[in-house]
Amino acid sequence: MAGVAGLSHAHGVLSPQSRAQYGALARIRWIMFRNTIRSTRGALELGARIATSILFSFIGLSIATGLGAAAYAMVSHGEWTFLPVLFWTVFLIWQLVPITIASFQQQFDLAGLLRFPVSFGTFFVLNLLFGLIDASTIVGAFCSMGLWVGMVVARPGLFVWATLALLVFAIFNVLLVRTIFAWIERWLAQRRTREIVMAIFFLLMLGLQLLNPALRQSPNKPPFNAATRTAALHWLHEADLVQRWLPPGLAAMTLQQGQDRRPVQALGALCALGLFATATGATLAARLRAEYRGENLGEGPKRSEAERKGREWSVGGSGPIAAVFEKELRTLLRAIPLLYQVGSPIIVVFVLASVNRNVSSPSRHIPLGLLLSLAYAIVGFTQLIYNNLGGEGAGIQLLFLSPTPIRTVVLAKNLFHSALFAIVAVLVGVVACWRFGTPPPDAIAASAAWVLFALPVHLAAGNAFSLLMPYKINLSRIGKHKGSQANALLSLLIQLVTMGLGAGVFALCGWLGRLWLAVPIFVALAVGAVFGWMHMLGRVDGIANRRRDELIATLAKPD
Amino acid sequence: MEIAAIQTRGLTRQFGELTAVENVAFSVAPGQFFGFLGPNGAGKSTTIKMLTGLLEPSAGTIEILGQPFHASSLDLKRQIGVVPEGMALLGRLTATEYLSFVGRMYGLDHDTANRRAGELLEFMQLANEGRKLVTDFSHGMQKKLALAAAVIHGPKLLFLDEPFEGVDAIAAGMLKTMLQGMIQRGATIFLTTHVLEIVERLCSHVAIISRGQLVANGSLEELRVGVASTLPGAEADQKLTLEEIFLSIVGAGGTEPTQELSWLA
Repeated sequence: MAGVAGLSHAHGVLSPQSRAQYGALARIRWIMFRNTIRSTRGALELGARIATSILFSFIGLSIATGLGAAAYAMVSHGEWTFLPVLFWTVFLIWQLVPITIASFQQQFDLAGLLRFPVSFGTFFVLNLLFGLIDASTIVGAFCSMGLWVGMVVARPGLFVWATLALLVFAIFNVLLVRTIFAWIERWLAQRRTREIVMAIFFLLMLGLQLLNPALRQSPNKPPFNAATRTAALHWLHEADLVQRWLPPGLAAMTLQQGQDRRPVQALGALCALGLFATATGATLAARLRAEYRGENLGEGPKRSEAERKGREWSVGGSGPIAAVFEKELRTLLRAIPLLYQVGSPIIVVFVLASVNRNVSSPSRHIPLGLLLSLAYAIVGFTQLIYNNLGGEGAGIQLLFLSPTPIRTVVLAKNLFHSALFAIVAVLVGVVACWRFGTPPPDAIAASAAWVLFALPVHLAAGNAFSLLMPYKINLSRIGKHKGSQANALLSLLIQLVTMGLGAGVFALCGWLGRLWLAVPIFVALAVGAVFGWMHMLGRVDGIANRRRDELIATLAKPD
Repeated sequence: MEIAAIQTRGLTRQFGELTAVENVAFSVAPGQFFGFLGPNGAGKSTTIKMLTGLLEPSAGTIEILGQPFHASSLDLKRQIGVVPEGMALLGRLTATEYLSFVGRMYGLDHDTANRRAGELLEFMQLANEGRKLVTDFSHGMQKKLALAAAVIHGPKLLFLDEPFEGVDAIAAGMLKTMLQGMIQRGATIFLTTHVLEIVERLCSHVAIISRGQLVANGSLEELRVGVASTLPGAEADQKLTLEEIFLSIVGAGGTEPTQELSWLA
């Protein structure tokens, strides 16, 4: 091919052209960052970003301290059997953090780079590098550091093996979390694969449900007798045979073999761990290569006309509230990332409740189980409620052009989100009662009253944040939008305050032995919250009209 | 005295230290097809945004259909249709759903909105695409859909910001026919475009904005006479095209590309 003057054709990840591109990208991000902090909002975003990093670092450091202490104790006492538990803990934290905080996550979409002469290697490396800037990496890295410090302080001779094992283990985790998100996004993008994923998910839930009675002790039997202890040890032995060949087990095995001065076996375990990392990297590369080639994730062949006509539906009603309600519902049903965010609390509550189930006495409920589950359900609505105009895109202009006041649009969105939350809350409530145990009627009534208080608080704050700190949402990609860190952090704070208030009132009334007292307290708070929401709604038009230029510039900008 | 469809006085918009539109005053009579021209960055879109309530003027007044207009003039908004710069489409709806939604936002009942949506899609030759998501539409199809959305409620006044950009010749001809039909039925159209041939063929009146200031305003014939009077005898006798008028008023400017960009193939 004839060369183009000034352009190099070397395509390696460390070729001069690739290095120049890394440099250009780093420089442009620096310039963008510098330009961003010139405005008040940009400075606020920077402050929020620092605060978020400190928060996640603090969480990571706290867990890391505990893990480090446990690693120190195990290694110094030679308790190698239980060392894999620590690696499994780090693995689960690393992989579960992105799922549990999906509403707050934000990633860079690098697809825009493809119009430049970027090699696949460079594209892959950049995807990995930008993927490092997320909460799971911060928390996971701190946990790994904690393990490393604990083990090396206990046995300095483990320095080399601990460093190598944790480094490869960290690389594996970084690659895996990116791979999972990339493939889930791919599978959820098309109807056929989406249905397969859903089927697998329901089979998994069914499997968990069938597995649970096998693991659960019968209430008629004493909790720890010789037979159950033998059975448990047998089960653990069987599980150990499997887990030791999986990445967390291999990392632990590397250390154990290194400690036993069996370098060949240690190296073998390390290489096996490396193979897992390589296989994961290859799986990620396969996905990114499709993206690199300009893959279209749109739906496949269209359904037949007759079939499509059969699927037509409408919520009815002629007014703008019905129109917005219907539009929101249609948009949500076609935005898998949003559906995932809204639905993920049901899954997480199911899994956590199954793990923490009151096995010694299933008839007894776990205190605050229902309240915390409902509070967590609201987390899934963070992006919908706190950035309720974010999905409009260029359509935001229509809202300002039409004779329908923005207040009416926001009211319709609030009603839609409340209706949707009611459905999710009922499902989460059923799952929580089923797994945690059914609480007494006064606890159920108090939890429901807390929702009546918390929801209008979130809707009122969400309306304000949506107008003051909006950001554009890419409805077809999971987490691939540049969010507002200030919005995420402040919404998280409000959620913590409402949740803390709920738990505090619950605890106080429980301590007084009058849990029913929480109901009138929450109802009184709910009345105030509803007035606050109505007051905010009354101000929506004024704020929206004053800020319409910025709202349009932020939300209608091209991808 | 006839009430103007659009009347601006001292219309100004500043972005920090930059004055994008300065002291613009013009009037558009009812039933007029009004072309609003200017080079890139002259202030056309800023002006149209102020006229449609998408942007607040820093100074000056706007009257639409004889009444003061601002962002909360809901009754006036019912009487105007707009194809804005970004088209204001909702990508996750189908064309039919989008038109029905827009109709209801403008106060049409559900059945009327659905019926008109079907008729408009038929007219725009998008009937076979009615159930396709808007995000999957080509740029030209999106333009046609945006125009359909702008007229679904039967506006008296239509603002069009670059409606022919990316539209094929067949569709452009169809749109022109539709717009001329609206003018014949008494509607007023305010059009900005870079396609001067369209303005020359459709518009009865033209205003030209340059560097934020209105530099010409009148009927095509008035502009022609005005520019011709500044030209030497022989040139003044020829009938000037709108392109010649435009370049004469705004100035061609620029550099010879071949001199400055000699490395280009």
